[in-house]
Amino acid sequence: MSEVPLIRLADVTKVYHLESGDFVALDHVSLDIMENEFVAIMGPSGSGKSTMMNQLGILDVPTSGNLFINGKNVAAMTNLERTHMRRDTIGYIFQNFYLIPLLSAYENVEYPLILKYKRRDTSGKAAAILKSVGFDEKLSAHRPTQLSGGQQQRVAIARALVNDPKILLCDEPTGNLDRKTGFQTMDILTGLHKEGKTVILVTHDPKIAEYAHRTIQLEDGKVVAS
Amino acid sequence: MKDIFFDLSVRSVKLNFMRSLLASIGIVIGVVAISSMGMLGTNMQLIVKNQLTAGINTIVITSDVVRSEPGSFGTPTTGITESELNDIRDMAGTNKVIPIDRTNTQFSIGSNDGRGSIMGLDLTDMKSIMNVSEGSTPRGESDAIVGATIASRFNLKIGTRIKIGEPNISVTRPVVRVVGILPTIGMSSSNGINTDNAIIVSDTWYSAQYGGDKVWDQVNVNLNDVSTLSAVETAIGNKVNRNKEVVRISDASSRVTSVSSTLSSLTTFILAIGSISLLVAATSIFNVMMMSVSERVQEIGILLSIGTEKGEVRRMFLYEAFILGIIGAIIGGIMSIVIGYSVVSAMIGNTAYFFLPESIIYVPAGMLIGVVICVASGVYPAWKASNMDPIEALRAE
Ligand SMILES: Nc1ncnc2c1ncn2[C@@H]1O[C@H](COP(=O)(O)OP(=O)(O)OP(=O)(O)O)[C@@H](O)[C@H]1O
Ligand SMILES: [Mg+2]
Repeated sequence: MSEVPLIRLADVTKVYHLESGDFVALDHVSLDIMENEFVAIMGPSGSGKSTMMNQLGILDVPTSGNLFINGKNVAAMTNLERTHMRRDTIGYIFQNFYLIPLLSAYENVEYPLILKYKRRDTSGKAAAILKSVGFDEKLSAHRPTQLSGGQQQRVAIARALVNDPKILLCDEPTGNLDRKTGFQTMDILTGLHKEGKTVILVTHDPKIAEYAHRTIQLEDGKVVAS
Repeated sequence: MKDIFFDLSVRSVKLNFMRSLLASIGIVIGVVAISSMGMLGTNMQLIVKNQLTAGINTIVITSDVVRSEPGSFGTPTTGITESELNDIRDMAGTNKVIPIDRTNTQFSIGSNDGRGSIMGLDLTDMKSIMNVSEGSTPRGESDAIVGATIASRFNLKIGTRIKIGEPNISVTRPVVRVVGILPTIGMSSSNGINTDNAIIVSDTWYSAQYGGDKVWDQVNVNLNDVSTLSAVETAIGNKVNRNKEVVRISDASSRVTSVSSTLSSLTTFILAIGSISLLVAATSIFNVMMMSVSERVQEIGILLSIGTEKGEVRRMFLYEAFILGIIGAIIGGIMSIVIGYSVVSAMIGNTAYFFLPESIIYVPAGMLIGVVICVASGVYPAWKASNMDPIEALRAE
C-alpha cells in the first residue's frame, strides 16, 4: 500500500442554500481512504451519506475544504478533467441502477468503453465482463426494462467495471434488492475488492456493512466514527 | 464508424415516433412552401423574360443631330444619310438592315378624320418582316397596310381608301388603298416596330409625298442572334460615330432589365412569405426538442454522471434535430416537386421552365434550409441538456 491516500477529504463542507436558509449537509469532514480499502458509510437518513458519495464521485464540489483524489485537487480541475476522471477512475453503482433505457444490457456495458476510446468495442471486453456477472449473449440483448432488479444491478456493476476504475462507489447497491440477491451482489463486490479495487459502500443494513473492513459513521453531516 | 450518440438519437426518434413525425410535418410544410414559392416566382420570371426578349433582337438607330445643309436657310433636315446607312450595312453583316421613314399625319376615311403615324418601307423589306393577318403586302405604289388598332377603330377593310394629310378643301389629298391588315403587336414586337397605330406605305410613295429620298428617320437592324447585340452595337457605333456622335443606338434590353428586376423583387417577396412557414416549423422543432430534453432528464443525468462529455450530450440532441430535419426535408423535397409543378401549371399555365436548373434548384435549397433550421432549433435544447447538474438530473422523475 502506498503512503499517499487514494482519497483525502480535508475539512470538506457542503452547504445547500435553501429558501428556508442554508443547510449544512457535510460539516467539516476530514478523512483519508487508502488504496484497496473496503469502506462502509453508515448513518441515519439525511445524515449526508449520499452527499458525501457525490463529493467522492466528483459529481459535486465542496463548498469549502479540499478533496484530493489520486493526489489531484478536485477543485483545481477543469470540467472536462473531472468528466474524464469520472469516466476512467471511478465506477458508480447506484441504488436505482440507472441504466440507459434506450440501450441494451450489452450496449450499456459497452458505453463507457465508447466514451473512453471514441469507438465501438471490438476487444470483446464488454461481453467478457457481462459473462463474468452471468449474462449470456441472449440476455445481453435485453433492454433494462426487460430485466429483473438483480439482473439490472449486475449490468450496472459490469458497466462500472468495464473501464477498470480504481474506485467503486456504491450508494445502497442492495437497497432495491431482496436479501438473497443483495448478498450475491456483496459477494461480487468482495471479489472485486480482493482483485485490488477500492470499494466504498453506503448502506443502512449492518449485515451488509459487515462485508467491509472499515465503517465510517455519519450524523448530521459530521463523522462520528471511522 | 458508428456513433453511439447517433444510435441513441435514432432510438429516441423511433421511441417517440408520432411526436417526431408531427414535428417533421412542420419542416415538410416549410420546405414545400419555400421551394414551390421560389419555383413559382422563378418560372414567372423566366416566362416573362423570354416573352420580352422576343423584341430585344432589334437595334434601333436614329439620327442624333439636327443638320443644317450648308448654304441653305431652309428647314434643317434630320435623319440618317445614305453613307451612314452604308456604314451600318457594312457593320451589320448578315443581319437584316431596314431603313424606315416615319412621321405623324392626319388622315381621313370617308368623313372620319384620324391621326396616326405613317411609315415608308422598302417593298421587299416589308414583305420579309410584316406578316399580315388579312390581305397581302403591297405590290403597287399606292398600296398600304394598316395596323390593328387603326383598322378596328375605323373599321377598315381590304380596299378601303385613306386620304393622307390635313383636311383642306382647297387641296386634293393623296390617297392610298388598304391591301393588308396587321395583327395586334402590343409591347412585344418581334421586329422592333410598333405598327398598331400605323399606316405603312412603300418608300417611293413616302418620298414622293414627304421628300427625303436618300435620308431615313430610323434604321432597324434585326439580329439573327441576340447574343451578338452589344458586339454589333459597338461595331456600328465605332464606325458611324467615329468622328462625332451622329446617330443614337438603342435597344430594348434596358426595358427587359427593369421588368426582370421588378419580377425578382416580387419573387423575393413571395419567398419571404414562404419563410414564415419555416419559422413556424422552427418553433415546432424547438418544442419537440425541449420535450425530448425534459423527458430524458434522468437519462441525461446518467450519461453525465458516468463520464459523458458535455459536447457528446450536445451532439446527441443535435443529431436528433438533424434526423427530424432530414426526414422532413426528404418528404418535403418530394412533395415540393409534385406541389410546385401543380402550382406552376395552375397559376402560370406553362411548365416549360420547371425543370431548368434555375427553377428546380429551389427543391434542394428548400431542403437544405429546412435541415439547417431544424438543427438551429435544436441548439438551445442541446445546450440546456449538456449543462444540467448531473445530481439534480439523476434525481428527476
Ligand atoms: N440538492 C439538495 N438541495 C437541498 N438539500 C439537499 C440536497 N441534497 C441533499 N439535501 C439535504 O442534505 C441532507 C443530506 O442528504 P443525503 O441525501 O446526503 O442524505 P442520506 O444520508 O443519503 O440519506 P438517505 O439515507 O435517506 O439516502 C438531507 O437533509 C437532504 O435534505
Ligand atoms: Mg442517500
